[in-house]
Amino acid sequence: MLALLASTFVTVFLAELGDKTQLAIVSLSGTSNRPGAVFAGSALALVLASLLGAAAGGSLSSVIAPQALQLAASVGFLILGARLILRSVGAQAESTEAVANGSDTPGP
Amino acid sequence: MSTPEPPSHGPLSSGDLLGQTTQAGLSSEIPPAPPSSQAWLRVFLTTATTVFLAELGDKTQLAALLLSAQSGRPGVVFVGASLALICSSLVGVLLGRWLSRLMAPEQLERAAGVLMVVLGLWLGRQAVLQLAADHLQAGTARG
Repeated sequence: MLALLASTFVTVFLAELGDKTQLAIVSLSGTSNRPGAVFAGSALALVLASLLGAAAGGSLSSVIAPQALQLAASVGFLILGARLILRSVGAQAESTEAVANGSDTPGP
Repeated sequence: MSTPEPPSHGPLSSGDLLGQTTQAGLSSEIPPAPPSSQAWLRVFLTTATTVFLAELGDKTQLAALLLSAQSGRPGVVFVGASLALICSSLVGVLLGRWLSRLMAPEQLERAAGVLMVVLGLWLGRQAVLQLAADHLQAGTARG
């Protein structure tokens, strides 16, 4: 039993390292200051997804095409990415503006 | 304008009304102020939805793994897989924290945004290619 547990753990852990999901988690946790929420959300989603995969097995792919799910995920990634880029651009514009304004006013 | 919105409990939280504040904290299950718990929930839901969708479409290899072991002990396999997934997400969160200490926020946001867009395009391309291949296969089977 322990051998099966260990082999499953190692296999899944190695398969997940560097996966797109983990990259998404890295960028989410790096850019929001709530690592606890990111960890709880990702852990719950991963366990739920694997539970659903295990429970439904092959029947899930007959109900809903995995490609449709992947398309939905890709749209989600695009939205999150665009939002992050826009935010970074906005922050940069703000900071340059602040610098420009700061040059007018005397320093502290 | 005369009343500040979030710290409206501010003057109340002194001495005699402390019991009330703790009760409010317990009922919402998160000790800090409501705005912070809202932000927590938003981050939580965003992460959960993204990861869930990304993993479900990608679940085939894990499902195969679970099915392959289903003859034996699916419970043990599920526990092992769950532990591994939780550990890998913990690694991801810690890696993100580490990067956020190394890089400036705007820089990291831009890099993460570009990474997300690239991942999204790649995922979408794969899904569309797969769909097209399936379509073509169905067409040749019919014709």
